[in-house]
Amino acid sequence: MSGGGFDWIALAEYSAIGLLSGGLLALVALGFVLIYKGTGVINFAMGEFMMLGAYFFYTANVLWGLPTWLALALTLAAVALAAALIERALLRPLSGQPVISVLMATIGLASALHGGVDAVWGGNNYEMPALLPRKPFTPGEILIPGQVVWSFVLAAVVITAFTLYFRFSKTGIAMRAAASDPLTAYVLGIDVRRTQALTWIFAGMVGAVAGIVVASMTSLSPALGGAALGVLAVIILGGLDSIAGAIVAGLIVGLAESLTAAYLGGKVRDIVPYAIVLVILLIRPYGLFGTRQIERL
Amino acid sequence: MRIGDFRASYRHDEALWPTRVQRTGLVLLALALALFPFTANGYLVGLACMVGIHCIAAAGLNIMTGYTGLISLGHAAFMGVGCYTAAWFAQRGLPFFVTLPLAGLFAAAIGTVVGLPSLRIKGLYLAVATLATQFLLVYVFREWDSVTGGVRGVNVPNASLLGFELLNDHRMYYLIVPVAALMLVAGRNLFRTRVGRAFIAIRDKDISAEVLGIELLHYKLAAFAIGSFYAGVAGALLGYFYRAMTPEYFTLQLSVFYLAAIIVGGLGSMLGTILGAVFMTLVPELLRAGVALVAQWAPRATEILSPVQQVVFGLLIMGFLVFEPHGLLEIWRRVRRMFHLWPFRA
Amino acid sequence: MSTTDPRSDFSRRSLLGAGLGAAAASALPLHAALAQGGELVVGAAPPITGVFAFAGVGLHQGLGDYCEWRNATKGGVAGRKLRYIGEDSAYKMDQAMAVFKKIMGAHKPPVFYGDSTAWAKAAAKEVSQLGTTMTSSPSFASDLADPKNVPFYFMAGPTYTAMGEILLEYINRTSRGANRPAVAIVYSDTEFGRDPIAGIKAKAQTLQIPVVQEIVTKPGAVDVSAEVAKLRRARPDFVIFHGYVLAPIPEFIKQMREAGMTATPMGTIWSMDMTTVNAMGPAAQGWMGVMPYRYSYDTKDAPTMQVIKDYAAKARPDMKYVPLFYTHGWLVGMIFAEVMERTLKAGKPLTGPNMKAALETIKDWDTGGVTGLLVNLQGHQIASGRIYAYNTDTKLMEPASGWIRTA
Repeated sequence: MSGGGFDWIALAEYSAIGLLSGGLLALVALGFVLIYKGTGVINFAMGEFMMLGAYFFYTANVLWGLPTWLALALTLAAVALAAALIERALLRPLSGQPVISVLMATIGLASALHGGVDAVWGGNNYEMPALLPRKPFTPGEILIPGQVVWSFVLAAVVITAFTLYFRFSKTGIAMRAAASDPLTAYVLGIDVRRTQALTWIFAGMVGAVAGIVVASMTSLSPALGGAALGVLAVIILGGLDSIAGAIVAGLIVGLAESLTAAYLGGKVRDIVPYAIVLVILLIRPYGLFGTRQIERL
Repeated sequence: MRIGDFRASYRHDEALWPTRVQRTGLVLLALALALFPFTANGYLVGLACMVGIHCIAAAGLNIMTGYTGLISLGHAAFMGVGCYTAAWFAQRGLPFFVTLPLAGLFAAAIGTVVGLPSLRIKGLYLAVATLATQFLLVYVFREWDSVTGGVRGVNVPNASLLGFELLNDHRMYYLIVPVAALMLVAGRNLFRTRVGRAFIAIRDKDISAEVLGIELLHYKLAAFAIGSFYAGVAGALLGYFYRAMTPEYFTLQLSVFYLAAIIVGGLGSMLGTILGAVFMTLVPELLRAGVALVAQWAPRATEILSPVQQVVFGLLIMGFLVFEPHGLLEIWRRVRRMFHLWPFRA
Repeated sequence: MSTTDPRSDFSRRSLLGAGLGAAAASALPLHAALAQGGELVVGAAPPITGVFAFAGVGLHQGLGDYCEWRNATKGGVAGRKLRYIGEDSAYKMDQAMAVFKKIMGAHKPPVFYGDSTAWAKAAAKEVSQLGTTMTSSPSFASDLADPKNVPFYFMAGPTYTAMGEILLEYINRTSRGANRPAVAIVYSDTEFGRDPIAGIKAKAQTLQIPVVQEIVTKPGAVDVSAEVAKLRRARPDFVIFHGYVLAPIPEFIKQMREAGMTATPMGTIWSMDMTTVNAMGPAAQGWMGVMPYRYSYDTKDAPTMQVIKDYAAKARPDMKYVPLFYTHGWLVGMIFAEVMERTLKAGKPLTGPNMKAALETIKDWDTGGVTGLLVNLQGHQIASGRIYAYNTDTKLMEPASGWIRTA
C-alpha cells in the first residue's frame, strides 16, 4: 500500500469495479427503457422478471440437469411466454387508463410473482452454477473479480445486439416507429399490438439474462426481486426512453455506488441510487438523454 | 327504498347526511362501534384498532392520490415520521392529545418539503420521487440513533389521560376509533369546501385548473400536507398501539399496501377508503384461517402462508384494476342502486 | 372518478358498519379451540419465510418436534400434554407482534418463542406487563440477558458479545509474537447484526488487537465486490462475520479467496450451520466460529443428540442433515418444559414471576450433550460455547477448542 498521500491505486480499483458493475445495471435499465419506450409504462415488476429468469434457469439446469445452453433456451422461451401473457392479460386492458392504475398494476404483478416464486421454490438461498469465469483480472496492483469483468462484457454484447437490431432489422424499426407514434405507425400498416407484445417479450428476456447473471454471481433467493429498484436511478438519470442514456447512466451509477461503498460505508451505498434520483428529478427531470414531454390541453 | 327524501334549502342539500335514514343509520353505527369491544375477544379488538389506523392512513393517501391525483409511494415513511415524533414527545411526558396533533404537524411539514418538486414533476416522475423519499426517510430512521433509537427502535410509553393509562387494546380502541371517525368526517367535509374542489380540479387537469385561477403549488403542497398529516396521526397511533416501533415497519411494502387499499376500496371517496382498509386488513386474516383449515390435510401449508398472502395481494390489485377500476365502492353502489326502488321495482 | 351523488355515501356507512360489527362480533377465529383442559400451549412466531427463512423453518420444526417427542415419551409435562402452535412471522416485526397478540389472546400460552432481536426488545415491555408468559427467541442480544429489566426472557446460549469475545480470545491466544493480528468485522445492518459490535470492539481494544476494517451490509446483500475490495486493502488476518445466516458469507469468502486473501474467516452461532459452510464450497477451508451446541452428527457421549437424530430421521425422513436451528429449537423446548415442570412440581401456577423463579433454579442441569457443560440459567443465558473449525478431510465442522465458559 502506498504510504502517505492519497491511495490512487485504491481509487482506481474501486472505480474500475464500479464502472464494470455498471454494465449489469445498464442491462437491467435496458429492460426498463424498452418497456417505457414501447408502451409508456414503468415496469415495477422488472426485478421479478429477473428473479423468474434465474429460477427457471436453476430449475432447468440444476434440478432437471439439462445442459447450460438448453436450460438457457428454455428459460428464455418460458420468460417470453410469461411476458407475452402479462402484456395481453394485464397491460392491454389497462391501456389508456390513468398512470396510477398502470403503475399499481405492475406493482401488483411484482407482488404476485414474488409470492409465487417464494411459494413454489421456497425462500431458501440456492447455489447457482458459476456461469462466468471467476478468475480475477490483475492489471498492475488492481484486482478485479473475474465475474465483474465478464458480466460487463456480456451486458455490452447484449446491449449492442439490441441496438443493432432496432437500427437495422425490419421488426426493430417497426417497434421504434410504433413507440414514437403509434397512430401513424398503425396507419402505415404496422401491427402496433404485436410490437407492444414484442417489447415486453424482449424486456422479459433481457431481465431474465440479467437475473441469471446476478444470481450466479451471488446466490438465488426471492430477494433478487427487489434488486431492480436501484436501477430506477439509472433510468431516471439517463432518461426514461433513452437506451444511450441507460448505458451512460448505468456506468455512472455503478461508479457512484462503488465509490460510496468504499469511502462512506456499505449502509450509505444502499441509498445512493435514491439520492441520485431525487437530485436528478429536481434539477433535470428528463435525465441526461430523455425526451422532454410537453403537455397539451 | 327512498321515500320522502326532499330538500327544502341549499344548506340542507349540502349537508353530509341529509336524510333521516342516514342519520339513524349513523347513530346505530356509533352504537355498534361503541359496544363492539364488549362482544369480541382481545384479538378482534386489536384487529379493529389496526383497521382504524389503516383507515386514517388510507384516508390521507386518498386525499393526496384519489382526490388530487398526486401519486405517493412514500406514505409509510410519513407514518414513520409521525410515530417517532409522538414517541419522542411522549417520552418527555406530553399527553397523547398533544402528541397526536404534533405528530401530524411534523409529518405535514416533511410532506410539504417532499411535495415541493410536485410543480415540476408529475405522474410517474412524482411517484418515483416519493419512492426515493421513502427509502431516504427510512435511512434517516435507522441512522439517527439519538432521536429514533436507530435500528433498535423506540419504546412508546402508554397513552395516558389524566393518569388513566390506556394499557391494553380495549382501551386503545376507544382512542383510535373516535379519532378515525373524526378524521374521516373531516376528510369528507374537506370536499365540500373550496380547497377540496381545487384538489379535484387539479386531479382532473391541472393546467386547466391553473388557467381557472387555482394556484397550483399552493394547493398541491396543501394536499401533500394534509395527506401527510393524516399519515402522521396514524403513525402516532400505531406507536401507542404497539408500544414499540422499529424502522423495519415502515417499508415500501406498507406504502404499496395503502395504495392498494384505496384502489381496491375506491379512489376519491371516504367510504371507499373505509371499504378498502377493512377489506385489505381482513383478507390476510381470512387467508390465515383458510390455510389453518387446509393445514389438516397439507401440513406444509402454513409455511407458504406468507408468500400466498403476497400472491393474493398482487392478484387482488391486478384483478380490481382490470375488472373493477372504481373499486369496492362501485360494487357497493351497484347494490345500493338495486335497492332504490325496492320493493316496487328491483 | 365518481359521478353519482357523493353525499349519499355515508348513508351506507351505517349499514356497512352495523353489519361489520355484528359479523365481527359473532365470528371467532377458526382455530381458537381453547386448550383442552390441562393442555400446555407452546406458542411461537418463527420466521418461516422471509430473509431468515432458512433458519426459521429449522426453529419451527425443532420446537414443534420436541413437543411431540415429549408427549410421546414422557406424557408431556407433569402429566399435561404440550401443544405447539407456531405461525410464520416472515421476520417482520409487525407480523410477529400480530401473531404474538393472536396466540396470546386465543390461548394465553405460558411460554412463547419469538422471531428476532427486534421482536424480543419490542415485546419485552408488553410481556413484563402481562406477566403470564416466559419467552425466548433466536436472539442472543446482550441487553436481553438481564433478569432484572427483562424478567421473562431467556436465551439458549451466550450473548452475541460473549461469542465475539470468545473469538477474540482465541485470536489472542493463537497469535504469538510481536505482530498483533489484524481483525476486520463484517456485519449486517440489523438489530441482530449491530448488537455486539461495540462490545467486540471494546474487547479488541483491551486485548490490543487492531480492528482494521469495519464493513456493514444489508442482511441479504447481493453484490459485495466493492466491499471485498475494501477488505482486501485492509489486509486483515481474521475476518469476523456477524448478523448473517447464509448470504452473503459464502460469496464474501469465495471472492476473498480469489482475491488472494489468506485471512481466516470466523462466524457466530447462526452462520455456523453446515448448509452455510457447504455453500462456500472449497473456499470453506479455514472457516471457524463459535457455537454453543454440538452438531447433530456429533452424537458420541451425547445422548440427547442421538435422540434428536433418531427422532428427525423417523419423523422427517427427507431431512438428511439436522441443522443447528433444529437443535436450538429442541433445546428451547427442553428449557420451556423444564421450567414449567419445576413450577408445577412446586405446586405453583404458571405465571411469569413463578416461572422466572423456576428458571433461576436451573443450575448444573444436564442437557444430555446438547451443550457441552452443565447448564446454569440464573443469568437467563447459557454462558458457554466452543470453537469449531472446518475440517477439509471430513468436510465437517470439528471442535477446535474445549468448552469455554463466558460469564
